[in-house]
Amino acid sequence: MQLFLEQTINGVALGSLYALFGIGFGLVFATLGILNAAHGTYASWAAIVAYYALDWYGAPFPVAAAAGVIAGGTIAVVVDQIAFQPLRNRGTGLLGALITSIAFWIILDSLAGQATEHQALAFPATSYPTRMLELGAMRVPIMQVIVITSLVVCATGIYLLIQKTLVGAAMRAVGWNSVAAALGGVNSRIVILLTAFLAGATSGLAGVLAGVTTSNVSFTLGEGLMLKGFAAVVVGGFEDVRGTAVAGIMLGVIEVSAAQYLSTSFRDGITYTLLLLFLMLRPRGLFGSTNFLRA
Amino acid sequence: MTNIMAKLAIAAFGAALLGVTGAIAGPAGGEYSIGFVTENTGPLAAAGLSYYRGANVALTEINDKGLAGPGVRLKLSEKESGSDAARAVQAVTQLAADRAVVAVTCCILSPVAGAVKPVVVNEKLPLVIYGATLPGLPSPPWVYSVVGLPGPQEVKMTKKLIEVLKPKTVTYFVNADNEGFQNRFKAAQKVMEDAGVKTAGVISILASDTDFTAPATQAMAQNPDLIMVWTTQGPAGGIIASLRQRGYKGEISASDVISPAPMFRRIGEPLAGIPFPINFAAELAKTSEAKAFVAAYQAKHKDFPDTYASQGYTAMYLLAQAIRGIDGPVTREAIANALSKIDLINPNVFGGLPLVNGQAEVANSLIANWTKDGQIAVWERR
Repeated sequence: MQLFLEQTINGVALGSLYALFGIGFGLVFATLGILNAAHGTYASWAAIVAYYALDWYGAPFPVAAAAGVIAGGTIAVVVDQIAFQPLRNRGTGLLGALITSIAFWIILDSLAGQATEHQALAFPATSYPTRMLELGAMRVPIMQVIVITSLVVCATGIYLLIQKTLVGAAMRAVGWNSVAAALGGVNSRIVILLTAFLAGATSGLAGVLAGVTTSNVSFTLGEGLMLKGFAAVVVGGFEDVRGTAVAGIMLGVIEVSAAQYLSTSFRDGITYTLLLLFLMLRPRGLFGSTNFLRA
Repeated sequence: MTNIMAKLAIAAFGAALLGVTGAIAGPAGGEYSIGFVTENTGPLAAAGLSYYRGANVALTEINDKGLAGPGVRLKLSEKESGSDAARAVQAVTQLAADRAVVAVTCCILSPVAGAVKPVVVNEKLPLVIYGATLPGLPSPPWVYSVVGLPGPQEVKMTKKLIEVLKPKTVTYFVNADNEGFQNRFKAAQKVMEDAGVKTAGVISILASDTDFTAPATQAMAQNPDLIMVWTTQGPAGGIIASLRQRGYKGEISASDVISPAPMFRRIGEPLAGIPFPINFAAELAKTSEAKAFVAAYQAKHKDFPDTYASQGYTAMYLLAQAIRGIDGPVTREAIANALSKIDLINPNVFGGLPLVNGQAEVANSLIANWTKDGQIAVWERR
């Protein structure tokens, strides 16, 4: 029983990282209509910036993490304005944006490799909380608690922002139809910048936390989150943050449980088969709207 | 009659001339290109840089001291592969098309080396492998390997662990997607099981995995006396860090992938005391060749060379040795022929490196560990 509970917590913590990343990824798709292949690099760069903030300037970990999150958001805004805004101005569709995002993925990946000299770095163990929480016979790393709490706070905050505030209403309006939103008095440009920053910052937070929990800050960090985060968005429904959060956690728990109780070799195969079966039963995802068209 | 005498005299003079020139024959002087398939980008870039740096240190020495023969200089013709088989094949194909390239050296991963092998055999281009560890890759006269196969050193370490630690159960971590590490794990498991040590569990991971909290929990729940980590470098560091972060204080062993200094800079104290088998360690260098290599590498790169650097270094020295043994033009065929006659790589930094059927055999492997202050020392149980 202790093993089951510990592995469940491991799965929830792992899934929280997927969900955090997926929230950012889903925001870009739902609001800006872009399938951004470069999104994983925001997570990588956020972790790299946080690492160097700590290593070069001796910043305390919360400050370094904040620097990383802001860097993730800033890079997302820059990429959006350089890569996607010109395409939006020309009315280019999804395919053009995808191809452009692949180009930026390669560029940002290469730059991240140069920035880390192609080494896998790690936050020093003394820079973040490493103690274990004793819950009866169970021992839970405090960083896992921080990761899960971060997801709850971010998911709740972003959900409330989108559903309960005027800014969120503007974001939803732009996501539905940016021209109509502009006619209704929404400054689409500002909304797009805000959405891009929020998406990059959320995924950047996932990158920083992943860099800590995996002892791995490298240019490949974001790639690992990309596929799983995308799966969380698809299963959760593109338009609802709650779905992404729940789906991400589901993904993490299924992955850990499959490895523990079925097969470590076929862990990913089993996980994605179960997700595929879920989508066959509920194609719109957990919280997706019924009128959403899938390719 | 006078004509016949004149012709006989000229023939005799010619034969004498040939005899004289034969006595001072050697490789034809000139600058020759050695194709180097680099892996300075991609997932194994850290190791790739080590191999590359080691090769460059060797190249400098070979050219400065004329070790490839009088008037012979070598230069590298580099093509990047990013540890990708398709790119490596493309790189070798381009190098083969360049007739100035007389030999080529590559690859870290066994699948990549396996992909490149038929290309060099078809193109009749000598290949020296500097990193891949799969048995059966060498194929004289065209394909050679300077990498000591991991089997013997793994067996040696496993026997030592049985003798010292006396474990009753072992849990293994192994790459599901790497045949080389699968072989290493199986070799160690066989030694353990032959000695009556039970397998508590085998946990497979993938080379691309980064989160090992759950596998570490799984391993700890099996309550083994020893955990053996037979994985590639990234996962090895992650697994060991996760085990120690979760409070595991038991015995762990690993492979030489945790030996490079960047691994200790990344993982730190959790690596201390964990034994691993290794063919070369700068801090433990005993022979004059090894010490000279360490000094030269430190002078150039301000860091100790790791085992990968020693292999890149050795690959260049093997080629230089082959070229030195040629009489006449330095061609691909001549190099292949010369390589096939070498049965001892000399000089080398391993304290002896026979070449048997194209495969280097390291006789003097060590069992080492990192100390808490970041030095490599001969392993002694904590």
